[in-house]
Amino acid sequence: MADRRPSMAERRPSMQNSRRPSVIPHLAGIEKPVLPTTPDECDVLICGTGLVESVLAAALAWQGSNVLHVDSNPYYGDTCSTLTIEQIKAWCHHVNSNSPGFHGFTKALLYIPRPNKLNSKDYSIDLTPRILFAKSDLLSLLIKSRVFRYLEFQSISNFHTFENDSFGKMSSSKEEIFTDQSLSLSSKRSLMKLMKFVFEYDNEENAALLAQHKTTPFVKFVEEKYRLLPGQINELCYTLGLSSTPDIQTPQAMSRIRRYLISFNVYGNFPALYSKFGGPGEISQGFCRSAAVAGATYKLDTTLQSFDSETKLATFKDGTKVKVSEKVVCSPSQAPTGSQYTPERKYEVTRLVTIVEKSCKEWFSDGDSAAVVVFPPNSLPSLNKFPVQVMIMGPGSGCCPNGQCIWYLSTIEKGEKARLDVESGLKKLEESILRESEDSGFDVALNDEDIVVRPDGTASVINSVKLGKSYKEFVPKEKLTFLFKLMFTQFTSVEPFGVASESVYRRASKEEVSSLAASGAPDKGIVYSNMPSAEISYDGIVTEAKLLYTSIVGSDDDFFDVDFEDEDETDQISNQNNNDSAIVDEDDEEFKDEMDFEL
Amino acid sequence: MTTKQTSVKLVLLGEAAVGKSSLVLRFVSNDFQENKEPTIGAAFLTQRCTIGSKTIKFEIWDTAGQERFANLAPLYYRNAQAALVVYDITKPASFIKARHWVKELHEQASKNIVIALVGNKFDLVVDEETGEEIEGKRSVSSEEGQNLADEEGLLFFETSAKTALNVNEVFMAIGSKIPDASSKGPEQRLGDSSSGSTSNRIDLNAPVDSAVGGGNCAC
Repeated sequence: MADRRPSMAERRPSMQNSRRPSVIPHLAGIEKPVLPTTPDECDVLICGTGLVESVLAAALAWQGSNVLHVDSNPYYGDTCSTLTIEQIKAWCHHVNSNSPGFHGFTKALLYIPRPNKLNSKDYSIDLTPRILFAKSDLLSLLIKSRVFRYLEFQSISNFHTFENDSFGKMSSSKEEIFTDQSLSLSSKRSLMKLMKFVFEYDNEENAALLAQHKTTPFVKFVEEKYRLLPGQINELCYTLGLSSTPDIQTPQAMSRIRRYLISFNVYGNFPALYSKFGGPGEISQGFCRSAAVAGATYKLDTTLQSFDSETKLATFKDGTKVKVSEKVVCSPSQAPTGSQYTPERKYEVTRLVTIVEKSCKEWFSDGDSAAVVVFPPNSLPSLNKFPVQVMIMGPGSGCCPNGQCIWYLSTIEKGEKARLDVESGLKKLEESILRESEDSGFDVALNDEDIVVRPDGTASVINSVKLGKSYKEFVPKEKLTFLFKLMFTQFTSVEPFGVASESVYRRASKEEVSSLAASGAPDKGIVYSNMPSAEISYDGIVTEAKLLYTSIVGSDDDFFDVDFEDEDETDQISNQNNNDSAIVDEDDEEFKDEMDFEL
Repeated sequence: MTTKQTSVKLVLLGEAAVGKSSLVLRFVSNDFQENKEPTIGAAFLTQRCTIGSKTIKFEIWDTAGQERFANLAPLYYRNAQAALVVYDITKPASFIKARHWVKELHEQASKNIVIALVGNKFDLVVDEETGEEIEGKRSVSSEEGQNLADEEGLLFFETSAKTALNVNEVFMAIGSKIPDASSKGPEQRLGDSSSGSTSNRIDLNAPVDSAVGGGNCAC
C-alpha cells in the first residue's frame, strides 16, 4: 500500500499559519487564465462521470490531487446518468449496436407510440433511479461536502407492498402499529418486539442471538422466532428492508430494516428522500461541480484509447495524450477497446421504465411526488422468485410534465424471466392505478371504523383489507396511456448485497489481476470501478468511492477531510440596520458559512 | 429583517479571463485584488441587494472552470433566474464567445431568465488621469454590444471590475427586472404545480428537532 500522501493543507505551505482565507469560488479572471487545452499531465485520470467516480473525483480534488475527469459521452453521469428522451434514443442505439468493447447494458427495447407527443427536454429519466435514506453515508457526505446546496431534495413517505391484489401501506412507526386495525393484538405485540430487537441489535444478548443466526435466512428467523404472518414478513423484508432477494440473511435484513426505521423523522415523517430533476445523474453533476471548484479539469466526449503502464501515458481517441503520475480509474463502460481486465458481468438487473399519462397522486402521501412499491416474491402472476421494486416519480419531482408519471421497475432475476416479471408488475400497477383513480373503484361501504385517524390528527389510513376485497372485482372503464416504455438489462460485478461493505466491492474488483497482467493489454494497470449495483438506495456509493480513494491515496483518513466549519457564533455581528444602503454588507450567519472555511 | 427577500440564482458565463469572477468579487466584497489567494471553496457566493422595498439575495454561481470544454452541466443552468454573460471589450474573440453563451442560455435555461450582457475591462481603454477613452484600445464597440443586447433582449453594460464602474448597476438592473416572487422562482419548470413546489424542498441541513420526532425510538 502506498504511503499516505500529504494533504492539501500540507502541500500549500502558504495556508498553514495564516488566518483562514476568505473562500471564493474558482476565480478564473484573477488567476492565470485557464485555456481550453487538455492538460498534458495529471495525478489521477478518471474516466466516466458516474456517481462513484464523481464522488471520488471530488474527494481527490479536495485532497489536493490534480484530477482530470473525462467521459466518453457528451453528458454527465455515465451508466447512472439522467437523460432526456432524445438522449435515451441515442443511448438505446448505442446499447444495441455491436460495437467492440465492454457492454454494460444489453437488449434495450424502446417503445414510443406515434405521434410522438413527448417534448424531449421535459423529461429526466434515470438509468439507475435511487432513493436516499435520511440517515445514510451519502446524505452525510452531501452535507459535509456542501454538494447538497446544488440540489433539491424532496420526501418519499409512501412505501407500498403489493399483497392479495392490492397495495398496503406498511405500518412502520409505533403509532401506526398501534392504530392499524388490520393487525391483531398478538401481531402488534410481536411486531413491537421485533422492532425493539432491530433497535437494540447491538446489546449483548441480541448480538449473541444475531451471531448465532448469522446464516439463517431472515424469513425463517422471524417466522420461527416472532411468529409473524407472511404478509408482515414481506413488508419487513422487502418494503422496509428493500431486500432484493428472498435469501437475505438475518443480520443483514435486520440492519436494512433498521436503516428504514432510524431514518424516520430525521427530516419529518418519512424515511427517505430523492433529488429533484433526477437521481444519481443529478447528484453526480453536483460532485463534479464540487471537484471543479477544487480544481479538477472536466472534459466530456473524450474516450480513453489506451493506457501504457510503463510510460504512464494515457492516450485518447482524438490523439491527445496525458501523463498520469498516479493512477487511472475507469468505469468499465469506458474501458479502452480490447481491454482484458474489465470486471466480470456476473449479475443482472432488468429495468422497465414507463411514462404514463396519469399523475398517480393516489399513491403519494400529501405533499409528496414519489413513492416506492414493492411486489414481494411470488406476489405476481408470473410467480416472481425475486421481488420487483418500483419507484414512482410524479410530476412534482421535476422529472416529467404535469399529469404524467414515471414508473421504474426492476428485478435481479435473470434473462427472459426477468422481463416477464417486470411486465407482470407493470400490469398490476396499471390495474391498480386505474382502480384507485376511478371513484367507482371505491364502491365499498366504509364506516367510521375503517378510517383511522393517526394520533397526530393529520393523516388517515383506510382499512386496506376491506379495500383489497373490492379491488378483486373491479373492472376498469378506461385504459392507461403509455407514452414511453423502455426495457433493458444491466450487468454488474457487484453482488446484490444485504449490507454495503468493502468486501462486497473487493470481491467485485479485479485490481490485483490487472496490475499483474501481461503487458500489451490496453488496460494494464487501470483501476476499474463497477457498474451500478442493483441496490435501490444510494448505499454502497460512498463505500466504493472510499475504496478507490484508498487504492490511490493509501488510506481514506482524509477522504473529504475539508473543514468547512462554520464560524463561531460569537464572531457574527448581526447587521440589520444597514438596509438603507443599496448593497447590504453580508455579516450574517449564512454568509459566513458560505464564505469561510478552515483547511 | 422584515423586508421581503427573494432568492435569485445567478450564473456567470463567458470566456476564460474576461473577468467574470473579478466582477463578482467586486460586487460581493467591493474589492479588487490582483493576488487574492486562489479560489477554493464555497458552493456559491451570496450577496444581498436592496432595491426599493424588496431585498434580493443573489446566489452567484461561478463556472468553476467547467466552461473550458463547454461542459457545463444541466445542473448549472437549472432554475437560474439571471445570467451574466461577460466579454472583454479588448478581445473580439470573447465577444463572439458571448454570442455563443447567449444562444446556450436560450437553449438550456428557463425561458424567463434575465440576462445581462457585460463588456468588462473598461479601465483598459481609458486614460487613468483624464478618464478619457483612448483611441484604438478597444476592439468591441459599445454599439456592437448594444446591438446584440437589443436583438436578444438583454440588459447591457460596460463595466470595470477594477474601478468598480457600473458593477453595482449591473446587479441592481438585474434585480429590478426579476419578477416579484415570494420564493425561488417565477420558474415554473415542467411539472411545477401552482401550489408552490418549493415548499416541499427539504433542507438537508435542518433535521427536525429530535425531541419532537420520537420516531427514532419505537421501543
